[in-house]
Amino acid sequence: MFQLSIVKDTVAVHPSQFGLPPQQAVTNELNKKYANRVLHDVGLCICVFDLSEVSEGRVRYGDGCLWYKVVFRMVVFRPFPSEVILARVKSSDEDGIRLSVGFFDDIYVPLVYLPEPTAFDSKERAHFWLPGSESTSAHELLDSPLTDRMYIDAGDVVRVRVESDDFHDDEPGPPKAHEGVQQVQENRRPPYTITCSMAEQGLGPTSWWQNAGVETMEEG
Amino acid sequence: MEVLNQRSALLSNYEVLSLLKELESDHLAKTKTAHRIKKEEEAAGLPPKHQAPPDDVCENLRTVEVEAIQYLSADYQPTGSQSEEGIAQLTRTLGQWDLTKAEKLQIVNLAPTEPVELYVIVEELEDRFGDKMDDILNAVKSSLKEPPPTVNGTTEGQPTEETMQVETTTYTEYTEEYTEQWDYDANEVVFDDTGEGAGIEGDLDVDDD
Repeated sequence: MFQLSIVKDTVAVHPSQFGLPPQQAVTNELNKKYANRVLHDVGLCICVFDLSEVSEGRVRYGDGCLWYKVVFRMVVFRPFPSEVILARVKSSDEDGIRLSVGFFDDIYVPLVYLPEPTAFDSKERAHFWLPGSESTSAHELLDSPLTDRMYIDAGDVVRVRVESDDFHDDEPGPPKAHEGVQQVQENRRPPYTITCSMAEQGLGPTSWWQNAGVETMEEG
Repeated sequence: MEVLNQRSALLSNYEVLSLLKELESDHLAKTKTAHRIKKEEEAAGLPPKHQAPPDDVCENLRTVEVEAIQYLSADYQPTGSQSEEGIAQLTRTLGQWDLTKAEKLQIVNLAPTEPVELYVIVEELEDRFGDKMDDILNAVKSSLKEPPPTVNGTTEGQPTEETMQVETTTYTEYTEEYTEQWDYDANEVVFDDTGEGAGIEGDLDVDDD
């Protein structure tokens, strides 16, 4: 789920940081710039791994900073498609389940990737799975006895497979004034979202599979 | 900014966790020293020299660092019972079977000890490794220091103190390609979380005076 990306950039080191060893100062600047940010089509940056190449620092006309050209490696969070990861359920709604890994929580499991047949229990605000049930409509499922239902509750640890990831780079366009009234900005999409699946044997809350034998797997 | 290589290598969770813990302990050590120096100066009656903290704490880095450490060392992750030697040995053992790189990485990250877990990770497990499945699971089990507590379903063995686990660090094959830049020292991993808050609070008090 983590990878190393090689990035090239130019950073300025402020004179107040001249007391530090240069590699430390450069690393600090890079961490300040990248840590916990999403880089388009790369992933969520965690921190600098190491510096591969650093040019000599140069002073430009106009400021007292030392400018370095740096090639460095960075630890990036980007689970690859088909990777299996562990996450916690953050919340559920009619459209699916939202997961979190603590430092990143734009992970979604849409309805189509939930195990069949599932239904959303609006009282519990959670999806449940009815293993072995023939019923297909939500009404029939909601009539099932509570004891048969296997709920996916908030806070559960789930094993999911990464299906796809999307990057959105929403630029804040020029302010659109419509008849003199400033438009309310439509809600912005998160810059990086991961879509995961639970619709497979062995996926879903880890507690479901703790003592499951191989027999069930073979029919699946 | 230019991305030269989007994915030059894959990292295992254990590697990332060690890196972050090292960063964290470095950071704690620095704040402690800065705090001590400040106190000494004040005790000596020197005028408070204006000195920015050695590296002004980058909020983003601290946030992601703390949250990622939390996630990676959570009790449902196998990292608690993993060790560098164990992982190195595991990757060597896995080398004999025809597993893809991604499958090996996931076996290291998730440390499957039950067939169900292995089925999810390895595609067409039956056809490819029908009879060798138990060998793989045993290899994983032997790479873990202690049976992982509860989550993976193995109930024998009780959770033991995790601080005891990393005692010696010798560089091993698995991490070899990274070690030249990354001096991982097992002793630095141990950090004291409560120290930081106390330190900062003390700091503020001093400032108020």
